[in-house]
Amino acid sequence: MKKMSTKTKIVALIIAIIIIAGVIVTLTVGLNFDLRYQSAKRIELYLGKQFEIEDIKKMTDDIMQNQEVIIQKVEVYEDSLSILSNDITEEQKSSLIEKINEKYGTDLSADSIEIETIPHTRGRDIIKPYIMPFAIVTIIILIYILIRYRRLGIMVTFFKTILALIVSQVLLLSIIAITRIPIGILTMSMVLTVYVLTLLGIAYNFEKKLDSKNGEEK
Amino acid sequence: MRKIKIVTIILAIIAITMISFFGIYVPEQNRMKNKVGDYAYAMDMGGSRKVRLKVSTQTKETIKDADGKIVKDADELTDEQIAEKGYVKEETPYNSDDVKNLENYRISKKMIEKRLKKSGTDNYIVKLDEENGDILIELTENKDTDMFVSNINTTGKYEIVDSETQEVLMNNSDIKTVTSGYGHPSENTEAGVQVYLDIEFNKEGAKKLEDITSKYVEKHHDDSSEEDTTDTEDTTDTEDTEEKTITMKIDDDEIMTTSFEEPIKTGKLRLSIGTQTNDADVLQEYINRASSVSVVLSDGKIPVKYDLYEDEFVLSDINHNDIQMGKYIALGIVGLALIILIIKYKSRGILVAFSYVGYLSMLLLTLRCTNVILSVEGLFGIGVVLILNYMLVNQILKVENIGKAYKDFFVKIIPIIILGIIFCFIKWTPISSFGMVMFWGIALIAIYNIIITNSLLKIKAGKEK
Repeated sequence: MKKMSTKTKIVALIIAIIIIAGVIVTLTVGLNFDLRYQSAKRIELYLGKQFEIEDIKKMTDDIMQNQEVIIQKVEVYEDSLSILSNDITEEQKSSLIEKINEKYGTDLSADSIEIETIPHTRGRDIIKPYIMPFAIVTIIILIYILIRYRRLGIMVTFFKTILALIVSQVLLLSIIAITRIPIGILTMSMVLTVYVLTLLGIAYNFEKKLDSKNGEEK
Repeated sequence: MRKIKIVTIILAIIAITMISFFGIYVPEQNRMKNKVGDYAYAMDMGGSRKVRLKVSTQTKETIKDADGKIVKDADELTDEQIAEKGYVKEETPYNSDDVKNLENYRISKKMIEKRLKKSGTDNYIVKLDEENGDILIELTENKDTDMFVSNINTTGKYEIVDSETQEVLMNNSDIKTVTSGYGHPSENTEAGVQVYLDIEFNKEGAKKLEDITSKYVEKHHDDSSEEDTTDTEDTTDTEDTEEKTITMKIDDDEIMTTSFEEPIKTGKLRLSIGTQTNDADVLQEYINRASSVSVVLSDGKIPVKYDLYEDEFVLSDINHNDIQMGKYIALGIVGLALIILIIKYKSRGILVAFSYVGYLSMLLLTLRCTNVILSVEGLFGIGVVLILNYMLVNQILKVENIGKAYKDFFVKIIPIIILGIIFCFIKWTPISSFGMVMFWGIALIAIYNIIITNSLLKIKAGKEK
């Protein structure tokens, strides 16, 4: 059996450490979900006139210090706004409405504005639509790889491909867990990109090996 | 001559880049309008419809007779008339207390997800508030969204009842599948197209349907028609007795009251939706209606009755500034990569750098012209194809043989091509967006580089002869 080079050993060790650390962080602290996917509170205000999100952001920064806030325009006329945060207290709601009334000359009343509870999005609901497409693509690509690189050994090619695809994704998730990058709208894009780049890496590696095998045979 | 050719190609690249990044503005109705179409965005970038369903606290009013049977058509009776006739008015909640539990809320959420999937909604998020059963739906905004939202709180309760006694003869548990379709009911195609709802019953349902259609038979007044009837016993029966009819109900709303010409033994019931028409818009409306009813009835009824509490379009929180910032970061990385190329390959590197910018511009124009829906995944897809194009042009510069560079490159990206093609057909916008971008990006890499990059390098090397 071919021995691993020192460089490969070091890379493998670093990957193993990152994955172990990622698993520990995930099991102990958990993943950091984006506010969009967390259980949150939301208020919706009808201003009846156009406004700048930046101006509202300044107000929420003042009132909801150190709280993550998402501000969105509502409806096509963009004259209503939605404010989402981990928590919105009655006091915060009242202060915000006061500031908005002051700036925009509106007559909003805190009593008529309800603080809605937004339930969290389950991780499995985020992943579910991707499972089948990934499974189909992986199976078809695996079949192609096994046929194209059969001369490198079917079992070896199979396990190396599977291992590379799994390790790259686990590594990505571990990095996300360790660095506390929020699980949000970028996560699945990152997963897709890493998947594609891994496929590219696998193909480059196998082509190189196939070339050198062909060279040896000649 | 070589210089003129190179300058011409570079000017063409600059023109394409200008069009791609700034557009083509022409005066239209006293204002300048960009003739280059805008990007189509998915719900994560363009905004989404947000719908909140609340567990219904409403009650329904029923009027019952002395025997406890529901009295039909009693809505217009006054309280005095009700009392006079000995009827009793009852207020019953749509959702009894035993219905309002976590298990039923979860089933309701699952069924709404199934409906979204069946109705072809290609991007949605469904959240359940386990405390109170509220369901929040975020779905993509398109021409079908209104139709879907209007049916979203339909529980899908299906019943065939005896019109007189209100006895339930069939219900959701008897249904196997519900599909919609359309066609010409007769050879006379000029009469127009008829939209249908086809209900196929399961084994037990088929048996019930046969019994019902044998019992609830149309009363024949024309004696001559009897000659064609094989079952004379039944015919005599219908003539001697009062015609019995059934009423079909969806969510307790009466859809139709009818009787049958002959027993249905196939276990399939075809209902006409609307009237025959040749008007495309009307036909589309009927098709949509039939399709939404089929979606609602296909998976049984939702155990909890929901009220539509909130329905609004919310713009994405990824705003113009975020997109601009992303654009500048991406352009910065591309610029840096091109500088490396220029340093490495000098004047050939400069030409390829121009060509690369032209590729990016062409790609963005293609995505707009082909109406590719851009999601965040699609943006990452653009990043990936830019990496791929960089690898190819680098290879072209390195081996100085475009044929070999192409062969080496495309053999290696076959798995990615497979992925791109498969993802194009996935009915989930973030994935299809990524797939479409990959597909157009790779197709453009193949075509663009052989035409532009290759020409530039050939002219530069003086091989154009």
